[in-house]
Amino acid sequence: MNKQLNSYKTRLHTYRIKRAILILLVASAAILALCIGNTNYSPLYVIKVLLKIESKGSFTINTLRLPRMLAGLAAGFALGMAGYIFQTLLRNPLASPDVIGVSAGTSTAAVFSILVLGFQGPFVSVIAIAIGLAIAFTIYFLSKVHGHFSHIKMILIGIGFQAMLTAMTNYLLTRSAEFDVASTLQWLSGSLNGIMMDNIPWYLFSILTLFLILLMLNPNLELIILGDELSKSLGMQLNKVFNLFIIIGVLLVALTTAITGPIASVAFLSGPIAVRIFHNNRSNLVTAGLIGSFIVLSADLLANNVFSVHYPVGVITGILGAPYLILLLITISKGRK
Amino acid sequence: MNLETKNLTTGYDKKVIINDLDISIQQGKINIIIGSNGCGKSTLLKNIARLQRPMSGSIMLDSRDIHSYESKEFARKLGLLPQSPVVPEGISVFDLVTRGRFPYRKFMSNLKDEDYTAVNSALSLVGITELADRHIDELSGGQRQRVWIALALAQETDILLLDEPTTYLDIQYQIEILDLLFELNRTKGTTVVMVLHDINLSSRYGDYIFALKEGKLVDHGDPKKIITKDLMKEVYELNCLIIPDPLTQDPMVIPIGKHSSTKQIKR
Repeated sequence: MNKQLNSYKTRLHTYRIKRAILILLVASAAILALCIGNTNYSPLYVIKVLLKIESKGSFTINTLRLPRMLAGLAAGFALGMAGYIFQTLLRNPLASPDVIGVSAGTSTAAVFSILVLGFQGPFVSVIAIAIGLAIAFTIYFLSKVHGHFSHIKMILIGIGFQAMLTAMTNYLLTRSAEFDVASTLQWLSGSLNGIMMDNIPWYLFSILTLFLILLMLNPNLELIILGDELSKSLGMQLNKVFNLFIIIGVLLVALTTAITGPIASVAFLSGPIAVRIFHNNRSNLVTAGLIGSFIVLSADLLANNVFSVHYPVGVITGILGAPYLILLLITISKGRK
Repeated sequence: MNLETKNLTTGYDKKVIINDLDISIQQGKINIIIGSNGCGKSTLLKNIARLQRPMSGSIMLDSRDIHSYESKEFARKLGLLPQSPVVPEGISVFDLVTRGRFPYRKFMSNLKDEDYTAVNSALSLVGITELADRHIDELSGGQRQRVWIALALAQETDILLLDEPTTYLDIQYQIEILDLLFELNRTKGTTVVMVLHDINLSSRYGDYIFALKEGKLVDHGDPKKIITKDLMKEVYELNCLIIPDPLTQDPMVIPIGKHSSTKQIKR
């Protein structure tokens, strides 16, 4: 009888070790992001600059690299969690916010308010988030059939919205010749270029708050994978929890997209990678978030240091996402046979 | 645990499926709901499990409307095995069965010793202790069904609802699952309420039968008393012979089809 309990505890132990390794990887990527670039500094020197003991390189580290690293860390974490939430709730690996129009809505709104309305600064983020939310909830309410929510309808309507919104963003960008290419790319594929420290505190605070709420709701995610009927009969308030998760997931994506643009594929990839590594024995909310952070930080390191051109991070993550999408479609159609 | 429906009217959207139904579940017994497709058997079970709200009337558990219970409190009293639960990938049997402890978990707390005890005894009751470390998606249909039952047992409820627990199983597994439910009922006194398709198995394993037709109760009681030619005709529009089961003496239904006798003549 204790044999089963022991192997349960072994599984828990293995899970914790793997998670610790992942945290170390994320931390190393974050430290590297501060050290490496046009000028390289040692980690020790970086700490001295951060603590204002040394002043040489302060502009590079404090003004350029620190906000970039923090934004990448939080954006990856937020997108990873949001992707896992959507995929788990809708029980479909395609149901990621970057596939079903949530991030596209926010970036179209941002481009519209910059180019057409001529707004600038934090006001753009506020409008982008508001419109992003409005579009996400439009998709959500259109997915109700006779008052019942339909998973597959939400995915299909979302993919339709995604195509339409991306087309609108493209149209707006081609119409504005004076708009510089770098900022343009941010709203097409997401980028950490030119992120200001001014935006970081409120962004980190919002993501952290949402994360704490999610931690409280986390045990529910372990039930949702068993289906609606079992979740309810095990005493979960499914409708309430479902709506709360959707609202938080959409907020995570809209807030992040307003800061970094729609960083491609992170939300889509993180959950499945986390499930592959950590299995489904417990909720992968946190591990999917960590995978997201790792993807964004390491892709940004690659984008900045390996190629002669500084690509936006979204270009690299987008390249990662495409083969997975193809693989997924192949395995889904094989499963049908 | 007294469970009964009072003037229960329910259905989907605006379509009424069950109309003004009064039934009283027999405590500590194996209750089986029978009836042809679309008669409202599953709908009735879903309403009792709070998956659906009645249009009018009510369902009372210990003289309280079931919807007046807090959701975890209700889940500690009544468990459900749905007809086709979603089979998650990459999850081991032990970890899956621990989810049955959800209604006992306090806010933000981890599993306690009593939770592990409940999981272990659920696994051994259904005889799948040796499968504890296997992933559920690798198991056969009969083994999976045992896992779902273990999950519901870890919930430690006095009432267990099952929606066609034998439907997709080969005959030997059907008997295994019904034997298992019988043992649970007799040893732990769990009230079992299930929907079954097979009349002969219902008659053999059921202590009490509810026969539904078009959302109305046609008859109810001990299978020995109520499974008759007339009932089969009324509920299923089936002509049949009733003979005593050679093993148990319970009524056994021998259907009479249009060609039953012709085939005999040919031989």
